[in-house]
Amino acid sequence: MMRLLALSLLVFAVVPTAQADDMMLSVKPLLCITDSRNPVCEMSFLVVWESDERGYYCLFNDYAEAPVRCWNEERQGQLTDDRSVRESFSFWMTGTDAANRLAEVSVEVLRMDSDDRRRKRRTRHVWDIN
Amino acid sequence: MTRATTWLAMLAFLAQPCLAAEAPVEATNSNWRLGAALGYGIRSNPLVQSDDIPIVVDLDIAWFGERWFFDNGDLGLTFADNDTLTASVIARVNSDRVFFGKTETRYVNLDLAGGPLAETVEFKPPDRDYAIELGVETLAGGRWGALQLSAFHDVSGTHGGYELYANYSFGWRRQRLYIEPSLGLSYKSADLNDYYWGVTPDEAGLVAFDYEADAGINWHARFMVGYQLDKRWAVSLVTEYERLNDEAAASPIVESDSVLGWFAGLSYRFGR
Repeated sequence: MMRLLALSLLVFAVVPTAQADDMMLSVKPLLCITDSRNPVCEMSFLVVWESDERGYYCLFNDYAEAPVRCWNEERQGQLTDDRSVRESFSFWMTGTDAANRLAEVSVEVLRMDSDDRRRKRRTRHVWDIN
Repeated sequence: MTRATTWLAMLAFLAQPCLAAEAPVEATNSNWRLGAALGYGIRSNPLVQSDDIPIVVDLDIAWFGERWFFDNGDLGLTFADNDTLTASVIARVNSDRVFFGKTETRYVNLDLAGGPLAETVEFKPPDRDYAIELGVETLAGGRWGALQLSAFHDVSGTHGGYELYANYSFGWRRQRLYIEPSLGLSYKSADLNDYYWGVTPDEAGLVAFDYEADAGINWHARFMVGYQLDKRWAVSLVTEYERLNDEAAASPIVESDSVLGWFAGLSYRFGR
């Protein structure tokens, strides 16, 4: 029993080192809804990240090759990114190696109506929901 | 019912090669619209001695090809589609029949006008058949809303009548929230109205007197609120009020001049 406890303590002691590169990235909101009247979402994205280890980190998105922002010797950060959105895209974090994505979050754009008018026809059922 | 079944079988047979000739059919293909809603709702039944129609699960099964489409039981062939309108020939099942499947047999000592009977008698509202109807539907839409106009005629020899239908809806969206009120009316010919809501001399008796319904106009209002939870899940609330035409409402087998329906539930859209 004592051996098992000692082994468990050893494993837990090792975990922080193994998770040194672990990155938590959250983005809100994650869904943008468009239709023919509103083909573009004017969104303000709150991006929050946290790492287990201090270091050099950069936030990227699909809109530019250059990072949105970089942090030096930080283990957490946040920013607000205002932009017009038409298509699904991603935010991701990198460390010193810009090619290695530590965490990635996708923002989905959902087009709710269709150019095909038949998809909007009513079939006279009260339970006919959009 | 035999005629109606024959028509359904014929339509299914005729549609088969056309559907096969259209775009590939896959659950993930955008031609499909597949969804399911789970919740609770009721559609009131205007007939005497009848139960309301409960709604617990709603399936949305539709397929839209370039010309052919299937939309929850309606089979259509689109012959015009331009910037102004979309027009299709459609075969469908008449919806008035749905109320007649929820009637009950009871022993009564009053007639349907409220007069006392000399003895207790068994009574059940008369049954009606489904009708297969063929018609033309025109859809138009834009920033001003959506308009649906249609004209359908019975082709199954069930009621021999026709219906003219118009519906206007306007959708308003604020990101995840969607609100859509709509308003419409339908003209039902004398043959259609009389078949479903009339009482023939053969059906009349001590409880129900014979009644012949003339043509009339139903009108309806509908209100829908939807909230998109994520890409596939949404919460929806729908309510609809339909006022029966005076000729139908005056029938001895009708106890309410309107139909009220509502449904609240969680819906899921496949393949998004």
